[in-house]
This record gives sequence, C-alpha cells and structure tokens, in this order.
Amino acid sequence: MKLLGTLLFVLTAEVACGQTKISGSITDERGEPIPGANISIKDSYDGTSSRADGTFSFITTEQGQHELQISFVGFKKYSSPVELFGKAIVLSVNLLEEINQLDGVVISAGSFTAGEEKRRTILNAVDIASTAGATADIAGALNTLPGTQKVGETGRLFVRGGDGSETRTFIDGMVVLDAYGPSAPNTPSRGRFLPFMFKGTSFSTGGYSAEYGQALSSALVLNSKDKAEMNQTDIGLLSVGADVAHTQVWDRGSASGKIQYTNIRPYFNLINQEVDWKTPPASLEASGAFRQQIGKGGMLKFYGNFNQTDFSLYNHDILDPALTQQYDLSNRYRYINGTYLQELTTTWSMRAGVSYTYNQNDTRTEGVPAAETETGMHSKIVFEHSASEQLEIRFGSEYYQRTYEASRFNEVLQHEESVQFNEPLSSTFAEAEYYASNHFVVKAGGRFENNRLNAEVSVDPRVSFAYKPGKRGQFSLAYGTFRQTPLNQYVRLNKRLSPEKAEHFIANYQLVSDRKTFRVETYYKKYDQLVSYPAGNTALSSNEGSGYARGIDLFWRDSESIKNADYWISYSYLDTKRDYLDFPQVAIPSFASAHNFSIVYKHFLSKIKSQIGFTYSYTSGRPYYNPNQPVDQFNSDKTPFYSDLSANIAYLPKNNVIIYASCTNLLGRDNIFGYEYSSTTNSEGVYVSRAIRQAAPRFMFLGVFITISKNKSINQLPNL
Amino acid sequence: MKTIVLIFLMVMTTAAHANDEKYFEQMGKQIQIVYRAQTTEELQGAVNALERIANAEKTKWEPHYYSAFGYLMMATREKEGSKKDKYLDQALAAIERGKTLVPQESELVALEGFVHMIRVTVDPATRGAQYSGLAMQTFGKAVSLNPNNPRALALMAQMQFGTAQFFGSSTAEACGVARKALDQFNTYKSDNPLAPVWGKEMNEELLKSCQ
Repeated sequence: MKLLGTLLFVLTAEVACGQTKISGSITDERGEPIPGANISIKDSYDGTSSRADGTFSFITTEQGQHELQISFVGFKKYSSPVELFGKAIVLSVNLLEEINQLDGVVISAGSFTAGEEKRRTILNAVDIASTAGATADIAGALNTLPGTQKVGETGRLFVRGGDGSETRTFIDGMVVLDAYGPSAPNTPSRGRFLPFMFKGTSFSTGGYSAEYGQALSSALVLNSKDKAEMNQTDIGLLSVGADVAHTQVWDRGSASGKIQYTNIRPYFNLINQEVDWKTPPASLEASGAFRQQIGKGGMLKFYGNFNQTDFSLYNHDILDPALTQQYDLSNRYRYINGTYLQELTTTWSMRAGVSYTYNQNDTRTEGVPAAETETGMHSKIVFEHSASEQLEIRFGSEYYQRTYEASRFNEVLQHEESVQFNEPLSSTFAEAEYYASNHFVVKAGGRFENNRLNAEVSVDPRVSFAYKPGKRGQFSLAYGTFRQTPLNQYVRLNKRLSPEKAEHFIANYQLVSDRKTFRVETYYKKYDQLVSYPAGNTALSSNEGSGYARGIDLFWRDSESIKNADYWISYSYLDTKRDYLDFPQVAIPSFASAHNFSIVYKHFLSKIKSQIGFTYSYTSGRPYYNPNQPVDQFNSDKTPFYSDLSANIAYLPKNNVIIYASCTNLLGRDNIFGYEYSSTTNSEGVYVSRAIRQAAPRFMFLGVFITISKNKSINQLPNL
Repeated sequence: MKTIVLIFLMVMTTAAHANDEKYFEQMGKQIQIVYRAQTTEELQGAVNALERIANAEKTKWEPHYYSAFGYLMMATREKEGSKKDKYLDQALAAIERGKTLVPQESELVALEGFVHMIRVTVDPATRGAQYSGLAMQTFGKAVSLNPNNPRALALMAQMQFGTAQFFGSSTAEACGVARKALDQFNTYKSDNPLAPVWGKEMNEELLKSCQ
C-alpha cells in the first residue's frame, strides 16, 4: 500500500505541472557575455542557450532537487544544485576558462615546433620536405629558419654562434650519435634520417627542456610517426639511385621497411666536380620501423637504420697540385631505437627507451689504414604526471655509455697504435610546468649529470616563462645552462677534459594568427670551459677557452595573403667571438657569419597540378686566417658573401605518381666558403692558398615516385 | 498485490511511451532546425538542445549524430581555419560518443568521413594527402557496414569526384557511385523514424556535373 501511495504521489506531482522560471546571464572572467552557452537541468530535456548578450531564460517543469549545468566550449562546466518549486530563479554566472594547452600560452622562446597536425605550427613535415634547395634534408630545410648560420661546406646545423657538433639529434627522445652521413672533406653531408618518418619536429635554438642533455647550442627533437593506416608499396626512381618501401598494416600495429641504393657515380661522370673522385660515393641503406599498440594506452616502437657507404678520392697538395694522395673511406652505420609508451592512469604516463648507435669509419690514406669506431648506448625512463589541469610534472633518468676507439698504422714504427676512451654518464632530470592561467605559464627544472669519464658532477638549471596578454601576441623568456663533452678528437688525448659549458638568455615575442606568424627573438649566450690548446699540440688541451654569442632573429611566415602560395622570410644577426682551440687571441670563429637571410616561396598551380618552390639564401662573408699576415690579424680576413637561388617542382600526373625535379644555385654563383693554406711556404716564402668551393656549381635531382595501394588517392607527396 | 503490479506496469509503460513521444517530438524539432538553420547561432542553439536530449537519453545515438551534424554545418560556414578545426573537433567528439552506443552504425561512420573531408578544406596543400586518404577509408567502412546507405555512397562519390577532377582523370567511377547513391536515395527506407535523410540534393548536384 505504501508503494501505491508513492506511485500516486509521483503521478500527481507530474500532473501538478509546477513550473519554475530560470533566468540570468553568463559572462567570462573579464565580464564579456558568452553567447551560445548550453544551460540545462541535468538529465532532463529542459534548458536553453544563452543569447548574444549572454542572457538566458527558460521554464522547467521539473520539481525538487536538481542540478543546473552550464557548459560552453573552452570553459569549465558550471554546476550548481537548485531547488525547483515554482519560485523563479535568477542567476549570474561567471564561466572559468579551461586551461587549453593547444590554444593557450605556450613557451616559445628558443623553439620552433613543427608537425603536430592541429597545432599552429611554424613548419610541418611537408614544409620541410618541399623546401627548395634542401633536397628533402631536414638540416637543409631548418637552415632556412632564423638562428642558423649557413656553413655550406658541411651541410650541418650551426646554431647561434655554435659549432655544428653543438646540435644534438634525438629520435623519440633517444639520442642519435653521428646523425650525418659521411662526406668528402669540405663537401656537405646529409642527415641520415628522412623527414617523412616523422610526424613532428621540434627544433630548438636554445633554452630547451631539462630532458635534453649533452647539447651546447641546439636540440633537434624528432618524433616518429605512429601506426601506419594502410598497406602500401612505394617505389622511387632517382637520378642518383632507387628505393623501394613497403608498409604492412594489421589491426593494432604496422611494419614498414625501406631499401635505398644511392650511387652518385653516373651523375658525377656527367657533371664536372670540384672534388677529384676516384670512385664517387655509393651507399646501400636499409631501414625498418615496427609499431604495435599494446593493451590499453600502450605503444611499442622500433626503428632501425643500417647504412654502408664507400668512396675514394684524391687529395691534391696545395703547394703542388700535381702531387696527389689517395684517400678511401668506408663507413658502416647502425642505429637502433626502441621506445615504449604507456598510460598508467588518466594522469600518469611512462615512456622508456633504448637506443644504440654504431659508427665505424675505415680509411686508407695512400693505402695506410686507420679506423675510428664510436658506439653509444642510451637508455632512459621518463614519468609524466598531470597533477592538476594547471600543473604538469615530468621527471626521469638516463644512462649513456659511449665508447670510442681510433687506430692507425704507424709507418715509422711499423706497428698499429690506438687511443680510446669509455664515457659512462648518468643523469636525472625533473621539470614542472605551471599554467597560472591561459595567459601565463612557467616551466622550471634541473638536470643532474654524473660523468664517470672526467669524474664531473653537475647540476644545470633551466627556467622559462611565457605571457600571452591577448589572443595572438605572446612574450617568452628562457634561461638555462647546458654542457657537452668535448669532441672525440680532444677527449681521446686528454680524458680529464671537463665538459664545455654554455649559458643561454633568450627573450622572444611572437604574433600568431591563423595563417601568419611573426617572431622576433634576441639572445645572449656565454661559453665557458671550451677546449683550448697550444698551436699544434692537441694533447696539451685544457678547458680554458671561453666565448660569447649574441644576436637577433626575425621570422615572418604568411600562407594567406597570396592565393595558393606560402612563403617565409628569416633573418639572423650574429655577433660572436671566442678564444678557444689554438686561437692566438679572441676572434670570430671561421664558421660564424654576421648576417643570414633566406626566403622560401612555394606556389601550388592547380592547373598544371604542380607545386613549384624557390629558396633564396644569403650569408655574409665568413672570417678566415691568412698565415701570411701577422698573428694579430688572426681571422680578420673575410670571404665573399654566399648566395644561392634554388628551385624545385613536384608534378602529379596521376593520383599515385609524382615527378620531382630540383636544382640548386640557378644563378651559378661561385660561392667560396673559406681558404685552405699550405702547411709550409713556397720558394718565395709565401703560404699558398686554395679556395674551398662548392663541390659543383649546381646540384640537379630528378625523381619519380610511385605509390601502389588499394586506395588510389594516396601518393608520396607528404614524403617529398 | 496483483493490482499493484498491474498499476505499476501501466504507469511504467505509459511513462516510457510518454518519454518516447517527447523524445521523438523534441528530436524532430531540433533535426528540422539543424537541416534548415541559416546561421551559426541557430545551429548552436539546436546543438545545445540535442546535447541536453543526449544527456537525458543515455541510450540513444541519434542526438549525438545530429549534434555532430550541426557542428559540421557550423564548420562549413566558418572561414577561419582554427575555428573550423574546433567545430570539427566537437563534431568528432559527438560521433565518438555515438559510436560507443552503436559502434557499427553506418550513418555515424559516414559522418566521421565527412568530418575528415571538411578537414582537408582548412589547408588542402598540407592536409590533402593525409585526410583525403582517411576520408576515403572511412567512407569505405561506412559502405561496408551498410551497402545501401545512400549518404555513405554519396559522400564517397563526392570524394572520388574531387580527386578525379584534381588529377584530371576519369570521373566515371565517381559518377557510377553517385548513380548508385541516387538509386538508394529513392528506395532506401530505414525503419528508424529519426534516421538521417539529407544528402539527396548534394548528390543530384554532383550528378549534374556527371552529364
């Protein structure tokens, strides 16, 4: 009977049809009205949307205790208990902004983040791959960004007065040693890793996270793609070789492999080269990737790269060019990287990885053998925790084990001699990122390193801030100290050398709209504990060197103003001096140039189904030392400026076929990177010079890329 | 006791019936707004109402479908790329909520492909290859889940037509699929009164270009 009573009560309550009017207004934290917000009584149909002025009003038939909810995209859900019994309710609600890490403030000082599809990025993988003059080389494309100095004879990334070796490459957080392929002396090398492998590239020109160590100037962080989506076979026929790749996909994983053969010999036979090749470079490369999703929120990745390159050339004596010396090189390279990512709870995640690099150079100079082997093992585990919507914590540990051995045959003593070292290094880092609001974020952390080779223990602080006052503009500051073990050639003779040290101070402003970006950044970098040694005696090295670099970097990108076109302009000013190595005094190093300018332009012509691109770069003269001058004139001479205009075209005759052609230095400028001098004087008592030139006035490249898959609209465009 | 049970059952069934009636009535009203809305504001209002219905009716997939459709329409009206992306994110989130209720519903999967298709328009040069591939794949899945779904066929035809036009290749295959879609628009009848009915005009426009 009691039950029946309740039922009757429920029925009558419904019939009674008591109505309650709820009205009010909704604003954001600044008091601006929010139109279109959804106002509802939880679990009922009743509710409404706020009007243009933020006000709302509706009538509900619900009775008793209920939950009133207000929600709108980008704001935290508001929820409040209400008693509905016919008495009108008037509310004035302030919705709190959600901390949005995609749209809100981000730390931008020192870093160019590229890739992550939906973020507003400065450059993405396609941008990198389709930059004229870069020939799909990551370093080549990044060289069009401010903060880099063009050092044409190396092909490497020189960042803000730093040497090429001060930029460290990481794949999925794991270190890569010897990231560039071998090349003849004074000819540009290429990065070993192709841009299409990566979904994201973060290029940092300073002030980077405490997670990255052993890099003085710059961290190039490459994030590999996740599981592939479909089976496909790619074939590439290139003017300098061929490649074939296949991707196989299954339910929760994918595997892909690629074999590439590059032989530049036929090309060099056609086009005269500055280098006197006996046998130009040929290489065979195999790479493979494996992806498997594991359980809930787990991802296992493997990547391997195996390369064998050989070449042989004649070095000509500077004093007497008729005197030649044969130089043969055979390089073997292996890189293996395995990472595992696991979500532990909704707020905790873990990533762990191991990488292994093996690089061996066997050389013969006039038949006399020498060898150099470097192996490196890197293991790492990192935990990430979102303590709250506003606080992110990250910490981890790393262990490096690097061994190096160089050997050569001593012709005088008729026996083999060798030098080697072994560098075990452990480190721990921790970092916290706090979003005070959508307008202010601070990141602070530190990195502890214990290097057992030189028995050094160090702690490096890293701090950065960003403040975003409005919708588009943002200020950012960064500070940090960075260190790196000196180059192998010095450590192998003096194992007690301390790491070289750099301190970065960076201030940045950037203005980002939908398809336009403007950035200006200024920095000061202080170098300490650089290797120095008395001229001609690297065995007596010490850490007494020092130096500084300061400058300003400007960047402008616009993919909106010109229809179907996209362009960016970079300019960097650099003022740097050092007293290191065997410098007789404080001087500008020979790789530094005061002014670097580049403009990259890409245009899509739908009528002829082609994308054309141009890149123009300019670098002001670089210093060199003419030994015929007194020592106080060290590095006071300057080379002529460098300039290059490159073009490329990608033509899509069919859905799955791309024809690609590119050419560097269209204007045929004879660029000079520096001068080499004879080690002894000639009969007139003069040191004779020889210019370091481009290997050839132009490099032309032609390729046809074919994709075979069930889905006919897929092609390799993103890979180019 | 028997009476109590009887009354109880009666109350329950009428209540359920009343609820269903309210559901169909409210849904019908909002669906009409989503189909006919001329402004983003109207669409936002309808989407909000649909989300309220979805919160009250935890087992129904249709409110999620139409709220996703509403967001998709908002995305097509929006000029600014980043806002477009945000609407598309909302649409995708609604589709995902719907898919947790009916993972094999061809209509939801077709709409998902539509979202990818609109994604391309934000930045065709960089997104074309990735998202058009994804869109085709998703339409393929929608067709395999229900080969008679005219919208899945019509969207697939749109995508194929655009691709063929871009590459200057034959549009015959696309037009064949569009004709198949037309047949299905004329004959296909879902037993769900709230099933989507849009897409016929879009398909007819495409067929005009086929002649």
